[in-house]
Amino acid sequence: MDLAVTQEQGGIVVIGAPERVDGTNARDFQSALEGAIADNTRAAVLDMSGLAYISSAGLRAILLIAKSLQGRDGSLSVCSLTDSVKEVFEISGFDNVIPVRASREDAIAALN
Amino acid sequence: MSAHLLHLETAATLETVEDILTAMDGFAEQQNWPPKLAFTARLVVEELAMNVASYGSDDPAKPPDIEITVDSEPDFLRIDIKDTGRPFDPKDAPDPDINASIEDRRIGGLGHYFVDEMTDEMVYRREDDKNHITLTIYRI
Repeated sequence: MDLAVTQEQGGIVVIGAPERVDGTNARDFQSALEGAIADNTRAAVLDMSGLAYISSAGLRAILLIAKSLQGRDGSLSVCSLTDSVKEVFEISGFDNVIPVRASREDAIAALN
Repeated sequence: MSAHLLHLETAATLETVEDILTAMDGFAEQQNWPPKLAFTARLVVEELAMNVASYGSDDPAKPPDIEITVDSEPDFLRIDIKDTGRPFDPKDAPDPDINASIEDRRIGGLGHYFVDEMTDEMVYRREDDKNHITLTIYRI
């Protein structure tokens, strides 16, 4: 899976989520996220503006990446959630453990 | 088959779940469902079908059979799923701790919670050696 990855200043990487993450592609998605995060990545921002659908399998991949970053004093945040994705984040309580920002700019500003 | 019904019968594997979801997308389009309803219906079908494909059988060479019927009515959606996998009542699945910290937050356990939270009614029974789940989502 190819993801749009942008390196920002200060060890921040912004990763664009695909249109859909479900049980059929969640492992590919997780590998692609791991590939986008370098040893010197301090914080990763997952831009979900293009994400129309996510199931528990996709959330699992996001949680694994968040745990991995946290384990080395890094962090994961998400931004630009579409309505249904936002609802899934809220129902699952993921919004309690992963910061949700309104926009890419907000997510980067919150890290600086 | 009536135009407002979708009926699928297949062996439940990761590959067929992909086919099932493609069929759900086509049916959502055909029925002109609003995006939120299409999202919810796809999600609950995926969560239940993935569970049958992942845990329904001990033997990967003998995946359980799954039969899915979706009835799209003007006022509600009814999703009926039967499978020949091991007995499993979704109500027996523990709820995830949605207030846990990131370190303590457990991986998984969310699928059935979504099904429960995002549908209005859920009925489970075990009959004829099959799990049989009927879900209702009201549209108004």
